[in-house]
Amino acid sequence: MANVIFYILAIIVLACGFMVVTRKNAINAALYLVVAMAAIAGLFAQLGSLFIAALQVIVYAGAIIVLFLFVIMMLNLKRDEFGFDSRLFQRLFGLILGIIFIIQLILIVSRFRPGLPAQAIDPAMGNAAAMSKKLFMQYLYPFEIVSVLLLAALIGAVVMASKRKDR
Amino acid sequence: MDYSLLIPEVVLFVWALVLLLYNASAKTENPRAIGLFALIGLVAAFVILWFVPDGSLFGKTFISDTYARGFKMIFLLAAIVTVIGSVDFASKHMKHTGEFYSLIMLCVTGMMFLASAGELISLYVALELSTISLYILAAFLKKDLKSTEAGLKYLILGAASSGILLYGLSLLYGLTGSTVLDEIGYRLFLNEGTTIAAVFAIVMFVAGFGFKLAAAPFHMWAPDVYEGAPTPVTAFLSVASKAAGLVAFVRLFFNSLLAIKPEWVVIVEIVAILAMVVGNVVALLQKNIKRMLAYSSIAQVGYVLVALSAGIDLSVTSMMIFLLAYLFANIGAFIVVIAFSNATGSDNIEDYSGLWKRKPSLAIVMTIYMLSLVGIPLTGGFIAKYFLFGAAVKEGLYTLVVIAILTSVISLFYYMNVVRIMMFRPAPSADKIALPWMIKLGLAISVIMVLLIGIWPGPFYAWGQLASTIFHF
Repeated sequence: MANVIFYILAIIVLACGFMVVTRKNAINAALYLVVAMAAIAGLFAQLGSLFIAALQVIVYAGAIIVLFLFVIMMLNLKRDEFGFDSRLFQRLFGLILGIIFIIQLILIVSRFRPGLPAQAIDPAMGNAAAMSKKLFMQYLYPFEIVSVLLLAALIGAVVMASKRKDR
Repeated sequence: MDYSLLIPEVVLFVWALVLLLYNASAKTENPRAIGLFALIGLVAAFVILWFVPDGSLFGKTFISDTYARGFKMIFLLAAIVTVIGSVDFASKHMKHTGEFYSLIMLCVTGMMFLASAGELISLYVALELSTISLYILAAFLKKDLKSTEAGLKYLILGAASSGILLYGLSLLYGLTGSTVLDEIGYRLFLNEGTTIAAVFAIVMFVAGFGFKLAAAPFHMWAPDVYEGAPTPVTAFLSVASKAAGLVAFVRLFFNSLLAIKPEWVVIVEIVAILAMVVGNVVALLQKNIKRMLAYSSIAQVGYVLVALSAGIDLSVTSMMIFLLAYLFANIGAFIVVIAFSNATGSDNIEDYSGLWKRKPSLAIVMTIYMLSLVGIPLTGGFIAKYFLFGAAVKEGLYTLVVIAILTSVISLFYYMNVVRIMMFRPAPSADKIALPWMIKLGLAISVIMVLLIGIWPGPFYAWGQLASTIFHF
């Protein structure tokens, strides 16, 4: 049963991913991306990581895609603006790089021997609780740096966006 | 836990916030006062840093050792000299000076966290804190198209390189099951032999850090960003961002990946050769002094990588001395560029002709910086190169050293070209160039330090050696 659900979700993710890169219309592509993200959230939920599944829906399917759609609609791209002169070269180059990447992936996956397994989160603690415990105890320090980082980015956004001339 | 280890970083962060709030609440913007205020904060953090003891926090996530503190001094000194040199530039050309200085301070805070990072997640996050601040700073002149272009290019390419780096970090975690650097080193040592995934991760690291270092072939962004960014930001970027790349690179490679050194030495050597050749040869063709200094910085990082591929304690020692000498010579040269473009509005090397007639002191200090960048005896640059190449010779890397010396000879042409134009060409106009006292102060500090390192290298060598003691070669 679990396998069947996994394969259904995986096929949805792959099919939507394929649609994302093949659509000519950017809005259609973004909407397919939403479905792909939601299906990935389903995969996480199936693994028992309910917290990450919820994050996936809120952050990716929610915030990021909405932002994406806003940008696309505001820019109001015409179809011909997607055209590239060097399309043939791009495709050829992309194909070569893609093949190299697949070969590398196969090599890595086939020869991968894990040294020592990463520690799994204790399932007894429940997912969100375990996550926040890790976040605010073991990873408190990087977490605090992230907050400083967000502040810096915020200052930058204000500086870049402000139209104030003089006080 | 001894949280006092964090005091310099906390002081700097709080100071940046206070500066921001003060600037927002002030009725009239006073760029000079804000600049001086920022300067006091940076100097305060520098002074406090001397009293911070050894130790670690959060299970080796934050490490305070001689190596980290040495690098923190470099970051703070770079920021101090940059701020001294940029007060006049900022009050002349910039809006939002409060945000400008607080972003520089936040950037330095990030670099200081990076120097102390003993674990992959905090290492990455600290690196991002410093680079995101730099993206904003590069685009700070909003009305200037070149500055905007510089910021955008830096952002997009920087984000791509961060992604590559992150992929490498995730592979390393997958291989060892730990994010703590010491632990990773230990487990790689126990595993013995390497998988192809480790090599793949190393390639990712070299590409990711190579971007931060602006080492060829990952240097494409550097000339455009250096040229377009506001000159004080370029000065800071050319030194602090390289030092930030090096601090993480060396801690990762010499602490965690030392067990698999044979796998990465060749890659680092290739990047070193490319950086030296590309940087020095292309610099010959540059007409804009900021672009020329950009290519020269690419070449300089190649010399450091020569020493690092030796992988001995002298590599670290020489890198520390090099960064200190390079810091003062390079930022000093950029302060000259600031002073000159403030007076004449030009960054072209040709326009420097006859500077000797218009402002002799400016021409003399510029000559000293150029001599130091070439590595002429009695300047800091000579001592730096002596130890850098000495480390490589000690390990028998003669090919690398020969290429380094040959390309150094090439570099003589473009550095001395600036001197030739300043000294021997007739001046286009007889106007004297006036120097504000802050610029004079910045130039004086840089010249004194460049000569001090060159004439009396003993204490600086001892300082560099102290930093290298934390690695177990």
